[in-house]
Amino acid sequence: MSDTVTLTLTTDPTQTLVADCIAADRFAALSALAIAALPVVYGGRPATLGEFFRVRGERASILRIGGDCARIEAIGSGMAGGELVIDGSVGRDLGVAMSGGRIDLRGNAGANAGGAPAGAARGMTGGEIVVRGSVGDEAGARMRRGLIVVTGDGGRGTGKGMIAGTVVIFGKTGAGAGRFLKRGSIVAMSEVEYPATFGYACTYRPPHVALLLRYLGARCGLEVAAAQVTGRYERYSGDLAELGKGELLRWVGE
Amino acid sequence: MKINGVVIEDTFAEAFTMRVARLLITGRTLGWAREAAVKLTGFATSVIGCKCEAGIERELRDNETPDGRPGVSVLFLTMDKASLPEQLIVRVGQTVLTCPTTACFDGLPEAPDRLPLGRALRVFGDGFQASKVIGGKRYWRLPVMEGEFLIEETFGMLKGVGGGNFLILATDADAALAAAEAAVAAMSGLPGVILPFPGGVVRSGSKVGSQRYKNLIATTNDAFAPTLKAVTRSQLPEVVNSVLEIVLDGVDGPSIEAAMRAGIRAACRPGVEAITAGNYGGKLGPHHFYLRKILG
Repeated sequence: MSDTVTLTLTTDPTQTLVADCIAADRFAALSALAIAALPVVYGGRPATLGEFFRVRGERASILRIGGDCARIEAIGSGMAGGELVIDGSVGRDLGVAMSGGRIDLRGNAGANAGGAPAGAARGMTGGEIVVRGSVGDEAGARMRRGLIVVTGDGGRGTGKGMIAGTVVIFGKTGAGAGRFLKRGSIVAMSEVEYPATFGYACTYRPPHVALLLRYLGARCGLEVAAAQVTGRYERYSGDLAELGKGELLRWVGE
Repeated sequence: MKINGVVIEDTFAEAFTMRVARLLITGRTLGWAREAAVKLTGFATSVIGCKCEAGIERELRDNETPDGRPGVSVLFLTMDKASLPEQLIVRVGQTVLTCPTTACFDGLPEAPDRLPLGRALRVFGDGFQASKVIGGKRYWRLPVMEGEFLIEETFGMLKGVGGGNFLILATDADAALAAAEAAVAAMSGLPGVILPFPGGVVRSGSKVGSQRYKNLIATTNDAFAPTLKAVTRSQLPEVVNSVLEIVLDGVDGPSIEAAMRAGIRAACRPGVEAITAGNYGGKLGPHHFYLRKILG
């Protein structure tokens, strides 16, 4: 048993590698050999995790991944606990359908981060995803609970069909953010394009945003400007074509 | 035992187990947080008449509160588990929810017993309320005319201690008041303790029951009333002409002891003859604070 399990990328995948077996809580009960033997899908064919990663440590719920994983999909899929730290970019479906724990990505993520598996009604139902970079399209799509924080830009359709939860985008937020939102919050610190089905409510200082940003600073070490913590935000309610209990909050300054 | 010539009587303060919650109230300014706290803790001197006891524990700096704003820590006590949420729901709903800019957070996050305070108050939102989970804790956002009121969903509840006390026996009323003020100043801001009475001081200490009126549960402590020395079984020395009492509630015994130690030492000043404490012979309350042991 060790404190941390470390996966180091030894063979760069030249095709898409679907590694939905990688989750911090799943590794907490596995030996290094068992981890290496976990099944993955490489270029549509079955393979094992050990063919691409060197595994160090075992039976720990803190997992570190090193290397450029931009072609690796579904990391943290269904994760229910523990902590997953990734030093590098990842492909699509990061933390898809996760229900707990925390993913800290020091790089960019592909589409559907924290979203739902194909055909599923719900995306992530709990936990936290912190992306210290940008995300692809539809981050947080159909998420039910949980938190996604993106220090860079968000793609198109961020939070599309969200049922609840929170998405914070520090960079630009792509078009169509919050479309079909039922509940939940999208907090945009920069440019954001509102769907026509959102209605402006007011400009105010939302107390929960201050609390959340302070938490992100303390827990995740994110550098959040004081003006964003105490600042004013425009509140747009929506999606009024849906339940209409969600919100888009855009920071407008001190 | 004497401190600065003041006799410390060989007796003890008898205190009771109560249920306690700690609320952290923040505001845009310390002034607004304090406004809410003062209203919340108003008319909360004694469970005898108020059904609860409450007070401001201390002021909080920006870096001590969850939302980074100035705030006030309040301790709130009742005699049993059931009445604590009842009292808090009514009082927080009428005093903190109504006060501009405030938010309300749990100050006992480790306590396993949880009071569903925010969960109960959320219905004021009439269906427009929303919740947020931040760092594993759920908060309720209540839309109000000002903007939003934020309150944590549950608050911790511990077994606390109520009724720690000591009495200042002085040669005149001025000396008693000066000593009481000095004691309160020394105890104010100490962690885990509140002084629920006006200015922290009680002039009308009571005894259990009544000699004359059968339906009264508490009446004047005639044994310590100087005007009754000649007509009752007085416990006051000849030279004592005024008595004031300090009552303390706290989260635990050590907090009460530390505050009593600081307060009694500060109260031992010119014009004070003796320090004593109120008890019921040790038969009613499980917490006994022996003055000489505390000060020894």
